[in-house]
Amino acid sequence: MKTNHTRIWVAIGWMLLSAFSAPAQAAQVAPATPPGPPVAPAKAAEALVESHDDLGRLVRLPAAPQRIVSLAPSLTETVFALELGDRLAGVTDFCDYPPEALTRPRVGGPINPNLEQIVSLHPDVVLATRAMNRRETVEALERLGISVYATDARTVDDVIASTRRLGKALGAEVRGEALAAGMEQRLAELARRLAGRPARRVFFVVWTDPIISTGPHTFLADALRRAGAESVVTVSQDWPQISIEEVLRQNPEYLVFSGTHPDDPQNTINSLQKRPGWSSLEAVREKNFAVVSEALDRPAPRLLDAIEDLARQIHPEAFPTAPAPKPREPGNARGGRL
Amino acid sequence: MRPLTLRKLLLTCAALAGVLLLMVFFSLKFGTRSISMFDLASLLYHSAMGQSDQVSSDFRLIVLDIRWPRILLAMIVGASLSVAGASFQALLRNPLADPYVLGVSSGAALGSILSLIWFAELPGATPFGAFAGAVAATAAVYFLGRRGGDLDSYALLLGGIITASFLSALIMFLMTTISGRELRGMAFWLMGDLSTPSPVAPGWLFLVLVVGVGAIYTTAADLNLLLGGEQEAMHLGVDVVRVKLVVYLGASVLTGLAVSVSGAIGYVGLIVPHLVRLLFGSDYRLLIPATALGGAIAVVLADTLARTLVAPTQLPVGAMTALVGAPVFIYLLRRRMA
Repeated sequence: MKTNHTRIWVAIGWMLLSAFSAPAQAAQVAPATPPGPPVAPAKAAEALVESHDDLGRLVRLPAAPQRIVSLAPSLTETVFALELGDRLAGVTDFCDYPPEALTRPRVGGPINPNLEQIVSLHPDVVLATRAMNRRETVEALERLGISVYATDARTVDDVIASTRRLGKALGAEVRGEALAAGMEQRLAELARRLAGRPARRVFFVVWTDPIISTGPHTFLADALRRAGAESVVTVSQDWPQISIEEVLRQNPEYLVFSGTHPDDPQNTINSLQKRPGWSSLEAVREKNFAVVSEALDRPAPRLLDAIEDLARQIHPEAFPTAPAPKPREPGNARGGRL
Repeated sequence: MRPLTLRKLLLTCAALAGVLLLMVFFSLKFGTRSISMFDLASLLYHSAMGQSDQVSSDFRLIVLDIRWPRILLAMIVGASLSVAGASFQALLRNPLADPYVLGVSSGAALGSILSLIWFAELPGATPFGAFAGAVAATAAVYFLGRRGGDLDSYALLLGGIITASFLSALIMFLMTTISGRELRGMAFWLMGDLSTPSPVAPGWLFLVLVVGVGAIYTTAADLNLLLGGEQEAMHLGVDVVRVKLVVYLGASVLTGLAVSVSGAIGYVGLIVPHLVRLLFGSDYRLLIPATALGGAIAVVLADTLARTLVAPTQLPVGAMTALVGAPVFIYLLRRRMA
């Protein structure tokens, strides 16, 4: 009986001690990978390769990581594009492309992923992206001894560089190189077609109530530029709320909608045609609407499909031989809902 | 008021501590991955004996490195908020007062946003910014609430509400005009979140908790008299000015502590003191320790639910406490009016 009590007190003492020593422990484990991943001691013998991620952090990974957890839809798409989809051990609740991603274990949302779930998936590496994940998540994972590779693509060119780098880090250098080269080539081809054509002045509709558009420094704005479109919004905020007066004053040539808008874009378009203010916009009267898939705002290889799709819709004359995308009833990269 | 005996005080606290211990055990057991009683017991036993190599590293990581720090944080936050709530209710002689009524949480939110704008690259900047903001708001409200060297309850309450709404307006202004990629987690944080480990060792947080609660406890007998009115208390020999100052500072520090590590977790500081009063009477000498334990129980329970109900997705714990707290509160209110 007495020994039992001693044990309880030892347990309580240990808990108190650990309460005070937590950060010291953290400091020891702080480098991207502790000596040998504690999650899978069996793999400790496997050689670790050091790579720099997009943020310049040194990350130590197995040469060909077998278990990858992705914390953003764009990363999930990129891993599949690198033909490493079968190594994806976990994805977020928002990872919906390719459809196969839906079959992977979920680890919660990008902002608050479930650490327990990630740990029990025994990842060799967790992929995070600066645009969607929080620094605290990355720090917490590293404290648990899990390697985190972070991407940070703020422009279309960044996406290409980032894909190439990620391919190398995940042991799919050849495939990554091919993907990147393919994207570069498609961009060059698009630039050739659009050469000499003035950029269309577009208004990208993120939201209609209230009207939210995108500022010039976002990834989305860069994607628009590559498709031969220039956003009429010049304020420096990333997701500014714009008044209908300002939209009328700017008089954009096209309204661009994304397929991820909560309503079917066609419903939004129909209702805009009847609303005061909107209905007097030239783009609305002329039915100059372009609808693209959500890929336009995802820094992943599929971005090129969305950029080309948008370019075809707003510069139809630049694609004379293309399989007739009707300018007034734009095709949708998601399968032509319109 | 029935006289409070030491026996009753100790028995009540021991019973609540027992419930808390049980709650902690269940919280350690349940999660995305449920752990059997036997495994959990053997894990705790071996860790306490220093034989951590005897247990699966997976369980150790999940139970000791993920769940335990989170439970510690939940207990500290719950105790702080509940004692702060009980204190403000006595100080303002208003049963509807909660820890956030005097603008501390708005100050903390503004502080953390500013830290994200100015010191985005510094790890752990958010909690320190939040604490600084809480202190600044507390000081501002203190000066607004002073009348001739004394804290006036009504001036304090009005000053707090004005400060809170002014700071909220500033927050809205910053959040809509500044294009910070780092502000993304902000809305999440404002809901109250325990999933982010605190950069400060829980031991230090615990120390602040003990000092804050201890300071308030020294005034417990005076608070009982203060509830009958300031004049009456003064005639009975209570140093009203000093008591109010100690309670105000103590409760503000406790709120600042809770807000800086977990965001604004609502309803705990309102409901727990009322429930404790209902169960054990309103003698502050018993109310303060019982509220501290009750708050710890409530937040550990809420957080356990938040991370298991829709696992692997986690709810913000603030949503959980509001979901349960609001109906309980309405019930109490109706009962009181009946």
